[in-house]
Amino acid sequence: MTQGTVVAAADTFAEKSERDLIAAVQQGDKNAYHKLYHAYIGQVYGLCYRLAGDRGLAEDAAQEVFIQLWRKIGNFKGDSKFSTWLHSVTSNVCISYIRKQKGWFQRMFNIEDTDAANEVAEPSSAEVCLDDYIQRLPERARMVFVLHAIEGYRHEEIATMLGMAVGSSKAQFHRAKQLLKEWMGYD
Amino acid sequence: MTKQQFDAQLEAQLAELPKAQMPQRDLWPGIELALAREEQHDDARSSAGDNRRTVVWASLAASVAVVGLVGVLSLRSPAPQLDGMQLVNALSAQHEQQKNALLVKFQDQPALTQNWQQQLDELDSASEAIKAALDQDPDNMALLKMLQKVHQQQIDLIERVHSPKWQQI
Repeated sequence: MTQGTVVAAADTFAEKSERDLIAAVQQGDKNAYHKLYHAYIGQVYGLCYRLAGDRGLAEDAAQEVFIQLWRKIGNFKGDSKFSTWLHSVTSNVCISYIRKQKGWFQRMFNIEDTDAANEVAEPSSAEVCLDDYIQRLPERARMVFVLHAIEGYRHEEIATMLGMAVGSSKAQFHRAKQLLKEWMGYD
Repeated sequence: MTKQQFDAQLEAQLAELPKAQMPQRDLWPGIELALAREEQHDDARSSAGDNRRTVVWASLAASVAVVGLVGVLSLRSPAPQLDGMQLVNALSAQHEQQKNALLVKFQDQPALTQNWQQQLDELDSASEAIKAALDQDPDNMALLKMLQKVHQQQIDLIERVHSPKWQQI
């Protein structure tokens, strides 16, 4: 048996066991859900952290994702990969959770904390990684940047998710890149 | 550094970012607790479901009785003048009653969208924020109108997502 065949067989086995796990969760099996949580918490929290820019808020948002996932998992029909579907659920739940926490008035009047944009960036250093700079971006610029540059969503999709115009999404992305360029010392 | 050079550098750094990160605390106990609470709530709702028609009719009967009583009292004495927060509280109580009656009515009917409850919660937050503002400025008519508008949006939302016409489309 070649190495390629072994890898393909392992992938098939993993896919089957994931399908079984999801089917068990869809039947209401909480132990299976706990296993699914362990398998995906890193991916879910990772995305929440980048979108929220704050560890505490990201932890709460990730909890909310798993609470809502329990209700929504019956909608997963297996048409796409589970991780892709979960990614979409995570993005939507997390954005909605962050907005709720930020307060209705702030959203309504489109007030944004621009302190981060006005901050004097620390000198560029090898120890400061890209993730740290991303966390410093203003909220809307950060969300757009994470969704477009890291998660691969199109500006049209982001505009729908964040309730903004496509042009605004592109402008926020440009703004994020300019700030990163400046902070990273490439300006 | 040119734009292309920066884009290439950024692209390279983005490709190296880890996809997964672990939270600093175990989130499972909180999730498990929330799911258990939800189940208890569902059980309570399902046992209440048997009596929901009675509840709806009782609510309607009570509303009719209240309206009748108010009518009789208004003929006998001048209507009490509600002012400031009294009016806000009365409006909110009336709205809650109407909203709950609708939620009971549509309890077993599938909803058109998945996130309508989330939208309802967001409107709840909006209404709480307006009430907090009214608490500081109880006679502000603009805020009062805003509150009524949010209440109406909630009613419209519940009716819209459970509307059979929409579901047939």
